[in-house]
Amino acid sequence: MSNKQNTNKTDQSYWGIVKRQFRKNKLAVWSLRVVYVIFFVGILADFFANDKPLYCKLEGKTYFPVFREYAASLGLTSMQPELLNVDWLHADYEAVVRAPIPYSPLTQDWDNAFANPTKKQDVKSWRFRHFLGSDQLGRDLLSGMIHGTRIAMLVGIVSMGIASIIGIFLGAIAGYFGDERLQVSRVRLWLNVLFLFFGWFYAFNARSYVMSDALSDSFGGFIFQFLISLVIFTGIMAIPNLIAIPFKKLPYFGKPITVPIDIIISRAIEVLNSVPILLLILSICAVVKKPSIMLIMVIIGFTSWTGIAKYIRAELLKVRNLEYIEAAQSLGFSEWRIMLRHAIPNSLTSVLITIAFGVATAILTESSLSFLGIGVQADVVTWGKLLNEARADVSGWWFAVFPGLAIFITVTVFNLLGEGLTDAMDPRLKQ
Amino acid sequence: MLLYILKRVLYFIPTFFVIALFTFLLSAIAPGDPVELKLSSGMQGSEGSGQVSDKLAGEEAYRQLNIKLGRDLPMFYFTVTSKAYPDTLYRVLRKNERENLERLIDQYCNWPQISAYYKSVKALELAVITAPVDPSDSSAFGKMKTVRESCNDLYRNYDDAVIQLDFDRIKSAVTGTIMVKDSTGAEKQYQALAAVSKYSDAVFTNYSAMRTQKQTSLKYIPAIHFYGLQNQFHRWLFGDAPWFAQNTDPNRTSKGFFRGDFGDSYLDSRPVSSILGDAMKWTLMINLIVFIIIYSIGIPSGVSLAVHKGTTYDRLMTATLFVLYSIPSFWIGTMLIIFFTSDYYGNWMNLFPPYGLGKIGPEYTAWAKISDRTYHLILPIFCSVYGSFAYISRQMRGGMLAVLRQDFIRTAFAKGLAPNNVYWKHAFRNSLIPIITLFSSFLPAMISGSVIIEYLFTIPGMGRVSYESVVARNFPVLFTILMFSALLTMAGTLLSDILYAATDPRISFTKKEG
Repeated sequence: MSNKQNTNKTDQSYWGIVKRQFRKNKLAVWSLRVVYVIFFVGILADFFANDKPLYCKLEGKTYFPVFREYAASLGLTSMQPELLNVDWLHADYEAVVRAPIPYSPLTQDWDNAFANPTKKQDVKSWRFRHFLGSDQLGRDLLSGMIHGTRIAMLVGIVSMGIASIIGIFLGAIAGYFGDERLQVSRVRLWLNVLFLFFGWFYAFNARSYVMSDALSDSFGGFIFQFLISLVIFTGIMAIPNLIAIPFKKLPYFGKPITVPIDIIISRAIEVLNSVPILLLILSICAVVKKPSIMLIMVIIGFTSWTGIAKYIRAELLKVRNLEYIEAAQSLGFSEWRIMLRHAIPNSLTSVLITIAFGVATAILTESSLSFLGIGVQADVVTWGKLLNEARADVSGWWFAVFPGLAIFITVTVFNLLGEGLTDAMDPRLKQ
Repeated sequence: MLLYILKRVLYFIPTFFVIALFTFLLSAIAPGDPVELKLSSGMQGSEGSGQVSDKLAGEEAYRQLNIKLGRDLPMFYFTVTSKAYPDTLYRVLRKNERENLERLIDQYCNWPQISAYYKSVKALELAVITAPVDPSDSSAFGKMKTVRESCNDLYRNYDDAVIQLDFDRIKSAVTGTIMVKDSTGAEKQYQALAAVSKYSDAVFTNYSAMRTQKQTSLKYIPAIHFYGLQNQFHRWLFGDAPWFAQNTDPNRTSKGFFRGDFGDSYLDSRPVSSILGDAMKWTLMINLIVFIIIYSIGIPSGVSLAVHKGTTYDRLMTATLFVLYSIPSFWIGTMLIIFFTSDYYGNWMNLFPPYGLGKIGPEYTAWAKISDRTYHLILPIFCSVYGSFAYISRQMRGGMLAVLRQDFIRTAFAKGLAPNNVYWKHAFRNSLIPIITLFSSFLPAMISGSVIIEYLFTIPGMGRVSYESVVARNFPVLFTILMFSALLTMAGTLLSDILYAATDPRISFTKKEG
């Protein structure tokens, strides 16, 4: 009981120590705060920069257009039909509360085309000023950057989410089982290989048109169809494993075979690492009929898991020989359960480092791609795309400076975060 | 050691095969019909007269080019499809027609009926072209055109509603009558396309037969067809011309990837190898300069930072290096172009050319050539250098620090050796190891890094070519670059492993294997 009092003063758990170490690093703590701000701006971009007012009174009726639009974009409602063709910037409001930046990224303010942020602008009041300037069509740069924050945030979350799931799973299997621990009975191996073919055939080959039609329709629809295929695949793969149970009892079929899973996964990592990611994504974008930002995020995710996998593989190679794993084994737990419930959770913290650096790389990759003009639709505004607008006219220095600065700050912040985590988890620095 | 290298090279083969397979898969699902693209760029304006001879000549030219490009072959050594698909579908040469047939098969799963329907549409199209219609009779000619267009539409559509619309158009065009005045001046109705009606009826009956006799169950029976070595994948890698004997067949001239034949560009029919040869020259030159600069500055500065650890100099430089490392090169590049290549921000700011490599005429002296090139290359080289330089410096500093902590360094100092001797003779060699592993990641980074730099500064190197081939969907060029960069990366990895062993006597690959 006295022990509890002790932990209240200084938390001696692993996380407690890491947290304390991390807090000592001022730069990393500030980076984390900037990350919070980026997330905040990204989530609430619609409320910060929007040509629709937050609240307005039009022809005697009260509206909350931004809130309505936000709900509509989440699929909860739809916009009121009478609001669809309103010129928000110039409408005659009876009362109005505008967003801090009263422009959407695509709103064209023709009076202030190519407005220089340091020069006088033709605006009603300072509220309508283009603080960071505008482009040849009068689209506000600051508004574009605020909405670009959302894209950058999404790139980080989606691509690293996918990469983490794949990387952790494959890396853990390779590290924990190695080349000698994954033993499967002969009949189960045979049946699994056979049904892998059937699973692929029925889940993906037979449904290929359904999926490609969904993809040309919308990305969400494709994900839905893909999940259905995945369910079918899982269902089919369950069959051989059920059949194998009775057969395993027979001596010939039950003979265990070792699957060198580490070699297989390490080979896959090597193959993927042999192709420069940017070139790989470029090739895929060239082949896909309608590349979209969502697709690019997914591709980045599917190609950048190798770093995480390598990391967790090395980690589990160490962990699997520790006493607590042996203890769990002697208790008779299955290897999968030990791996999923005990080995992986204990090495997840160190993966955070790779993920932090991975987010920086993913954001950098995405902005390079949109800088090159590959894979971004006309109605999506990203930092890279804004930066590329600078190339149209040398006099528009604001397009060269600000979007690039945003990319730079975001990338730096995530790199600093990664550095801070590395230092915090380094046992040599522990006091 | 030799055994280890041999083993690694053997490992390349499956890796390379997988990458080749992936690249080929990409090329297989790539949109567009290259043969059509080539033909349309080759003979513009000869279309539209609608004569039988033209039509047949066009078909023949299409077939010839397909054979020449090897596109008349099956895709792969084998296919895994459902039983509904015939194993001879690849013989339908037109890509969009073949894809449409696949869609129909997916819907109805009865190949005999689908094939009959497809053939009857073909027959109808031919019959319409050969129909005895007076070309001066504009309304009859218009009906003929309607039927032809509808036939073309049928080749591309599998949706029942669209097909029925086409059928309606064909029906009204074929059965529709035209008023003509005969020689006596009396008006007379006549059916201009009467001769075609039996063909159009065949189309309709075949279509309804196809729709009514569905065999959907076939779709769920898998079938594997084997095609042997005569396929597009094999031809792409190994070619179809004989390796040693004299080539006799003028249609089978491809030498394949392994013999340096990467196909022709879709855009200008130039061989890909010649395009890439020209581009490679620039990228290699720039990257070689970059490489030398990075290592010759980065390594000494890293060492000196480690030696002066904890001083203000170290802290300042480390922070600067970190910032440099995080600055995206395309941002710096854009800023340099905006601010330093024009008179807009003052005359004195116009220091560099904005893009290109400059024009060098034969009248230039050697010195003028070099200085002009240097003048054009300063900005791109700067943009490629600073990030990697910062990275190398930081790694070198870290590696050196780790070594300096070790006991043998303390021993060396205790022996009374001169500090420079300790740093460069004892510590340096041991801290090189992490730098060497970085070497392997440099080769691919060079290629993908050059995409952005070369795009920014319009340098006609590999990066620019790959960007352009993505935009123009010029797949032979793009996929060859993809394959080459994979090969380069694998070679880089091998090289770094060998260097690794050469610098660190503790590492022995042969022992580990045994």
